[in-house]
Amino acid sequence: MYMTIKEPSEKIANQAVQVWRISNTIGHGIAIIVLGILLYCSEHFHWYGWIQVTLYIILGIIVLSAVYSIFIEPVFLQKTWRYEIDEDFVQMKNGKWNESHTLVPMEKVEFVRTEQGPIMRKFDLFNLIIGTTTTQHTIPAIPAEKAKWLKVEIAQLAKVKESDLSEREEE
Amino acid sequence: MMSQEVKRFHPAWIVVEFFALMKNSIAIFLFLFVLKINSTSTWIVWGRYIFLIGITWTLILIVLKWFLYRYEVVGDSFVLKEGVFVKEQRTVSFDKIQNHHSKTTFIHKWFGLTSLTLETGTTVEGSAVNFPVLTVSEKERILSRMLDKAPSEDEGDQDELEHGGEKKVHFRSNKKDLLKASFTSLSFLAIFPLLTTIYFNLADFFNIEDTAEGAFDYLLLHWWMLILLFLLAMVLSVGIGYLQTTIKYGNYEISDDVARIYIKKGVGSTSSFAISKEKVQAIVVEQSLVKRLLGLASIKLISVGEMKTEEQETSSLYPFMPKHEAYLLLETLLPHYPIQEKMDRFPIKVLWYKLLVPYYFTIIAAVGLFFFKKEWLWAAGVVFAISLVTRVLDYFFTSYLRQGNTVQIRKGGLTNETFITHYNRIQQVSVEHSWLQRWFGIATLYFQNRANPLHISELNGVSKDEAGEFYNWFKGKRKRLVRRERVS
Repeated sequence: MYMTIKEPSEKIANQAVQVWRISNTIGHGIAIIVLGILLYCSEHFHWYGWIQVTLYIILGIIVLSAVYSIFIEPVFLQKTWRYEIDEDFVQMKNGKWNESHTLVPMEKVEFVRTEQGPIMRKFDLFNLIIGTTTTQHTIPAIPAEKAKWLKVEIAQLAKVKESDLSEREEE
Repeated sequence: MMSQEVKRFHPAWIVVEFFALMKNSIAIFLFLFVLKINSTSTWIVWGRYIFLIGITWTLILIVLKWFLYRYEVVGDSFVLKEGVFVKEQRTVSFDKIQNHHSKTTFIHKWFGLTSLTLETGTTVEGSAVNFPVLTVSEKERILSRMLDKAPSEDEGDQDELEHGGEKKVHFRSNKKDLLKASFTSLSFLAIFPLLTTIYFNLADFFNIEDTAEGAFDYLLLHWWMLILLFLLAMVLSVGIGYLQTTIKYGNYEISDDVARIYIKKGVGSTSSFAISKEKVQAIVVEQSLVKRLLGLASIKLISVGEMKTEEQETSSLYPFMPKHEAYLLLETLLPHYPIQEKMDRFPIKVLWYKLLVPYYFTIIAAVGLFFFKKEWLWAAGVVFAISLVTRVLDYFFTSYLRQGNTVQIRKGGLTNETFITHYNRIQQVSVEHSWLQRWFGIATLYFQNRANPLHISELNGVSKDEAGEFYNWFKGKRKRLVRRERVS
């Protein structure tokens, strides 16, 4: 362990890997098709030479990105995603090369929501979205039962009021 | 008494709106009725009719708006009703109000009126409650209703307030301060662009260029006259600068009572600002190069309420206060924010790390130039040099300090900025580390504060031990802060 931060306990669903693989394949597929059409046009209508060069460079980048985000990234993302929700905090951790830990106090939570796209529906998974006064966070790919339970739980916990100890310094 | 009479704006609101309308439509009026007075082309004639109809319509609308805009105090919130065609009713609870400020311009003063804006925390446009014109006594009434009813969450505070929580004045600007301020703001330099503008405007109308050249030749021969003229201009501009500063910062007064901080300023047109001490989200100490040379500092109070540039100036404690005095004042006003002047830089390895982070921008520039403009490839070198210098400066001007209940970070270069916040004002924290950072044993800290817009502090280069401790510190502190009070 790199730092003295306690790792959150909960993992996200294993099927997340498949979900991400499918959605990233679709996304990159569309991008490659669009680029193909553009390349065909540039050839057919004799566009400026530099347009073609740029298109080939972009195509190269997309292919590299596809290899990374279809074959490599989903596995690591799923393996490293951890979260923990208790009375006081929402904790999140993810990333392998770029590891990130986030801590959100429960009283700062303003809303909680579950979301599901068509691919996720196939696997019966939900994204849990937690909004605060300042930003919103997404915990991806949680099994349906658990996601619904967490939503109710957070909604209950977030009702607490911040007691005003602010003026009483404690040290 | 739970509710009281429903009120309208002061009728002067109609006059103010009327003048605003005149100001906005004067250009169109001049175009249609003065410049093109002899034109008989169809679109000009039609334009005139449409203009007249539009003006009449807007006038009717203004009166209707005034008639239909009503407000009242019900319990501990404002109820605002407005709308000519679409009716709107808004309820603003007192405890949602983050700060309030009022402004009295010359025109207000003539009629014995003032204005008041109550800022709420939401980021939605127009969420503030705004009273553009109201009588001074009405303002006092609204404020007293609000302050009495404002549910202070601390019982102790409430008691003291009721037993005469008196205002204590901590700072009043004097002539010396103003003189210093006028030098710091460099407003005495304003005369030069002014003179140039006058010269060129005159040159447009008269053929003074030749005359001016002649005069210039004459002056070159009589150099003492040139110096005299220059001195005269300087004295004049210092005078103007001083006057400007006095109008803006004269009669500056900072005071507080148990619960709030009050700032008043201005000669002629005055404005005032009040914020509850609990609603201060963070403090920023800013020092520009000139201010650093003169040992001055400006201190800003960060609040959630919407702050337009003008109000932001009001929400800063006097911007030209001697640094030590400012720090002392801050200590009396907000004892929970102890500021340390001396801060340490990160260890030198952080500099090496910062220099090693990939130069993405340089790479993109180089690749782009290589393909599209090979002969300009050297420009990538310039980009590289700039990023090198920026990184070195960034290292030398960044520091961080955590003590007791507050975090303090300093960033900057020419203007340096020290940001201090209390753990219970931090909305969330993040700690991040990349493989390169792990190699150096460091990490990046992020924490967010409510402000408008949202304030995210990013600190790259904190040691891994401190990053972990920071995370656990926040966790531990928050845990003790919360007393479970379930609603329902």
